[in-house]
Amino acid sequence: MLPLYGGSLPVGRFCVAALKEMGHLVETFEAPEFYDAYNALDNLKVTSDRHQYLQNSFLQVLSQAVLAKTETFEPDMVLSMAQAPLTHQALKRLKRDKVVTAMWFVEDFRLFTYWQSFAPFYDIFAVIQKEHFFDKLKEIGVDNTLYLPLAAHPDFHHPLNIGVIDARKYGADVSFMGAGYPNRRMAFRKLIHHGLKIWGSEWEGDHVLDKYIQLGGRRVTSEECVKIFNATKINLNLHSSINVDELVSGGDFINPRTFELAACGAFQLVDRRSLMAEAFSDGELAHFDNLEDLDEKIGYFLAHPNERDLYAEKGRKRVLADHTYVIRMQTLIDFTMDKIDDWPKERTSKELFTPDFPEELKSEVMNLIEKLGLPLNVSFEDLVSAIRLQQGELNPLDTAILFLDEWKKIYKR
Amino acid sequence: MKRALVVQLTRFGDLVQTKRLILTLAGRGLEVHLCIDRSLKYLAEVLYPKCIIHALIAHGTGISGDGTNSTLPINYKIFQTLKDINFEYIYNLNFSPMNYMLGSLFDPAKIIGHKRVNGQPIRDPWIEFGFRIATERRNNINIVDYWAALSPEMIPASEVNSRATPKGGGIGVVMAGRESRRSLPIEVLAPLILAARSVNKNKKIVLLGSNSEKDTGEKLLAKFPPSIAKNIENLAGKTGWKDLANTVSNLDLLMTPDTGTMHLSAHLGTPVLGFFLSSAWCFETGPYGEGHTIIQAGFDCSPCVESQPCYNDLKCLKPFKEQSMARFIATRKPDHLPQGLSVFESTCDFLGTQYVLKAGQDITSERRTQLRNFIGCHLGMLDIGEYGPFPELAEKFYKEKDWITGSRL
Repeated sequence: MLPLYGGSLPVGRFCVAALKEMGHLVETFEAPEFYDAYNALDNLKVTSDRHQYLQNSFLQVLSQAVLAKTETFEPDMVLSMAQAPLTHQALKRLKRDKVVTAMWFVEDFRLFTYWQSFAPFYDIFAVIQKEHFFDKLKEIGVDNTLYLPLAAHPDFHHPLNIGVIDARKYGADVSFMGAGYPNRRMAFRKLIHHGLKIWGSEWEGDHVLDKYIQLGGRRVTSEECVKIFNATKINLNLHSSINVDELVSGGDFINPRTFELAACGAFQLVDRRSLMAEAFSDGELAHFDNLEDLDEKIGYFLAHPNERDLYAEKGRKRVLADHTYVIRMQTLIDFTMDKIDDWPKERTSKELFTPDFPEELKSEVMNLIEKLGLPLNVSFEDLVSAIRLQQGELNPLDTAILFLDEWKKIYKR
Repeated sequence: MKRALVVQLTRFGDLVQTKRLILTLAGRGLEVHLCIDRSLKYLAEVLYPKCIIHALIAHGTGISGDGTNSTLPINYKIFQTLKDINFEYIYNLNFSPMNYMLGSLFDPAKIIGHKRVNGQPIRDPWIEFGFRIATERRNNINIVDYWAALSPEMIPASEVNSRATPKGGGIGVVMAGRESRRSLPIEVLAPLILAARSVNKNKKIVLLGSNSEKDTGEKLLAKFPPSIAKNIENLAGKTGWKDLANTVSNLDLLMTPDTGTMHLSAHLGTPVLGFFLSSAWCFETGPYGEGHTIIQAGFDCSPCVESQPCYNDLKCLKPFKEQSMARFIATRKPDHLPQGLSVFESTCDFLGTQYVLKAGQDITSERRTQLRNFIGCHLGMLDIGEYGPFPELAEKFYKEKDWITGSRL
């Protein structure tokens, strides 16, 4: 279940990619496709109660769509990203239908406080913070809580050979990619002498920083991020805070950028977080403690490229070993197996290549299995599910397998 | 020459009832291909000699195992053949998951009927409209016309089958249809056969049915005195599709419940005397074309749903058991018609085959006429300026999304 928009959207997409890579069958609810229609309700110029009513109704439709999809796909788990459009009613219905639901709440619980409303409706609640959050969740009856820090997806976040044109566009001595939170605005005003490039949105109205904002301050795509990370000598990674007085907030969770930059083999200067010590060892990330320290370290590392490379190499190695989305998804699955009895439910799956499987078709079916990225011992049911997920016109073999599946269901074979 | 594929994966009767669509497509200058279950291949060749037949495995009968070594390889070959042919249109007729999957082979824009677009099953607007009309089963249209209307330029209904006329070869009796509740038990059927025979010049009777009706045929034979039985031939299980067609084409009359053989009879222009009870309703699935007679049971629960049990002690069967029933068959005088039955004769109108009351009652006749006119206007066959408007029907059968999404049903 992807959210309509926002920061957890790319995280959701990486979860999908990781689960697929792990050989799971994944069906995605593409909520972003509905976002324009939802926003169009804002242009109605109707009374506020009507507006609210329409927005709620729209979200009910989305929830119904999720339920219908669940009914058809029969997943072992419905995994939601924070802000996934699932209503209380839909979550209750999923519970009644014994569909295991999990949320990966990749938000700061102190800022995004809505979790109090929906967390109790999920079977599994994974979070990126520990302190107090677990206690607070327990207080409202949420037992199956899991610390699941963010991650990178190495198939996507990896070192790139940046061409001349991209190097000019995305490259810089020092750059920052992220939204314009107050602590960042304050800090970066004092760093402009390094020729800073600022990427990302929500930087409007800052006269000092205006000319350093790239791409007109629009949201940067995940693909562009990888180019920026790779083309930049020093990537600043300053965790967000709404507190202007405190540049380095010293908060707990680690932002996705930390893992992504490291996976890209890019060098970063990152502020310390309380949960960082268990994720990275000394020498894997270069830290700064305050603005002066940061200013100084920028100068230092610009002058010492070999040291940058050393950090980058170690950081990437650590992420590949411990902080990928594949590892996170496996942790989530293991946790769910531990907490939920008889999960996942045993499916009656049949061997694909039974003794009477026609010899002449075997090699073609093997090719199909390979094309779909499935394990060679895939069951008939999983092969059918994978073919069903394909788009557009199908070839005769795909069609014959889907047809056989329906034939078997109708005649109970 | 442009090509059209008609996918008709259901049974004998449905294949015959696809005739108007097939003739319409041929009339539009298209080369018509027909995709059917392989058990119906020879029948399809008999019915539609000009069509190119693609016979796959869609039925379960006669196939052992899970289909991996039969259904899969055979259908794969057929799908390869179909994929290589550049069809202009694919008429995918059945509301069945198998049809939707088969539709995945083609560009959805070319499919008319049931299609699967990026994994989402979608019904053609006319099919959806048909589903809505079918909620009023008493006034429903003939399924032959329902399928034919998927194409523009439908050939006139009267040109589908020639007017039924006796052929001189005696009487044929179909003993049972697929659903036993829709058929007359042999003790009810026997006196009716005798009555029909008494007024027919040729006294010969042939019993028709599949192999499973062979014994029923023998039991029915035993109901007749030897003098009559000697003129009765039990052909159940003995006829291939060609023999069956030859036999039926020579008959004076076919006495039958709602069966595939009944539709074959209509196709061949042999008069049908149909016994319609339980879930059978002549306006939906009666024999197509002019000159057929249906004795229709009409109760508050008629027509019922085939898949649901009868909680009314099969009350629609009772009038067929009454003594006066045989007398009615012999004389066709309305006075002898038992209560609960109505007699309809088939005719053709602007829309298709229609049934006209000859005896008994037809309480929804007015509504049916109105509905047919509404559908006629909808399909552009009648002028709404002259026949319409139909606000109540439009409110019931048109849905907001029809016009909101701009689709023309």
